[in-house]
Amino acid sequence: MSSGQNSGGLMSSAGLVRYFDAEDRNAIRLDPKSIVAFGLLFGVGILVLNSVAF
Amino acid sequence: MGWKEAAEPVLTRMPAVARPEGHVPFRRKLAWTAGILVMYFFLTNVTMFGLETQTASGDFYGQFRSILAGSAGSILQLGIGPIVTASIVLQLLGGADLLGLDTNDPRDQILYQGLQKLLVVVMICLTGLPMVFAGGFLPADQQVAQSLGVGVGGVKTIIFAQMFVGGILILFMDEIVSKWGVGSGVGLFIIAGVSQQLVAGLFSWSSLGGASGFFPTWIGIITGAVDIGSPLSPGGLSDIFLGQGQLLALFTTLLIFGIVVYAESVRVEIPLSHARVKGARGRFPVKLIYASVLPMILVRALQANIQFLGQILNNWTGLPAWLGQYSQGQVTGGLFYYLAPIQSRGDWMWFLGLTSQEPAQILVRVLVDLTFMVVGGAIFAVFWVETTGMGPESTAQQIQNSGMQIPGFRRNPQVIEKVMERYIPQVTIIGGALVGLLAVAANMLGTIGQVSGTGLLLTVSITYKLYEEIAEEQLMEMHPMMRQMFGN
Repeated sequence: MSSGQNSGGLMSSAGLVRYFDAEDRNAIRLDPKSIVAFGLLFGVGILVLNSVAF
Repeated sequence: MGWKEAAEPVLTRMPAVARPEGHVPFRRKLAWTAGILVMYFFLTNVTMFGLETQTASGDFYGQFRSILAGSAGSILQLGIGPIVTASIVLQLLGGADLLGLDTNDPRDQILYQGLQKLLVVVMICLTGLPMVFAGGFLPADQQVAQSLGVGVGGVKTIIFAQMFVGGILILFMDEIVSKWGVGSGVGLFIIAGVSQQLVAGLFSWSSLGGASGFFPTWIGIITGAVDIGSPLSPGGLSDIFLGQGQLLALFTTLLIFGIVVYAESVRVEIPLSHARVKGARGRFPVKLIYASVLPMILVRALQANIQFLGQILNNWTGLPAWLGQYSQGQVTGGLFYYLAPIQSRGDWMWFLGLTSQEPAQILVRVLVDLTFMVVGGAIFAVFWVETTGMGPESTAQQIQNSGMQIPGFRRNPQVIEKVMERYIPQVTIIGGALVGLLAVAANMLGTIGQVSGTGLLLTVSITYKLYEEIAEEQLMEMHPMMRQMFGN
């Protein structure tokens, strides 16, 4: 069955947060790769700090 | 004018993960999902800088950890807690129709998304600040404070900053999985945590440092390395079923698996036929646990937040005895005791001497927990269905838009809605109450690896949904035509 013109942004499994297709032109868009890169660098940074401090 | 106009400049500018342009191949979706999962596990293993490591102060989330993900003392200390709490607020506001947002209107969709993010950020602060600054849940390291020269307050600020970044990272990781991967990040993190505990509960052996798992214990029992009483004596039987043998826990775990997978297939099917294409038929399934497992996490998180409030107030100012009495971080009396959910057998099996509470007190606590879960489960399930567009009105509109109709009825959204109203609300309430009952029962009987009943329920049903989604994805990969049919 087709979901038709449903623009409600179908819920993905277990999504507590809903994401719609609509986006504002002013919104800041982040590249997923840069988020992953930031997360990894942040984690490694904390690890380094921990090992320096003790 | 209204709050919408006032908040618009802020809400529309909330940073968001860019959407993929065009179709993302299934393999790449899997790669994104796996990548985020690896990143999640990595981050749960990074201890926050400036935290005093000598004293194991225990997990602030305690037994709630299995549904709130993350890990104690790591930069993902908060887990999905803020997301869940923000979601509770949104559900309550949306369910009572106080927001005045129409989720079919693109303008309101943007506002809704922005509001979600803003609420998560607020919740990160509301849960994080008291956790760090009130009471000694996350003690700052004196040595670091001295060597940096910023004092204990400064180190606490650094700890909070790391926690804050971790909370924001979880939010964006969820968004990446939702937009670029399979399923959702929240679901992924819950199953990751619970599965880890389950595997540890089954296979972990004592030389790893933790408690011995189910299989190693049984190998020990069979070879005589683990000493239990004779299976014919009451003591031995109790050891086998309740103690080290954990047979009851295994039974409960398997039962929950079975019930959830079975209940997934229990549904009322409403026949549909295409208005113009003769012979094109379909069915609209109204599932028994249609929408009810996920709202459960909201009920549990509400209980969790009540308990955090008790702990923080107790550490901060001390509580009068009628409100709460605490010993070693555990609530033992007062109002907060009765509001605490039953988490394991140790909380209620007074006849085995597992707890020193009076049976009458325990009974009240079990009844409060049961009422909370059954009634709360039903209420949140109804709100969930309404706010996520699975209610009678929106499904009627969807069916209408897809060009289908219910045979024997006029082709009109109002008519379809009438038919849907006969099923969806009833099924939702029954499903919500049933899931609540199951979660309490599973907690009381205990599960393998101490994953809570709710954690297990969530994991099984999220995995099932994930499986369905993957199957659908593969179908679309094989037949590009299907993609158009699914409106992708």
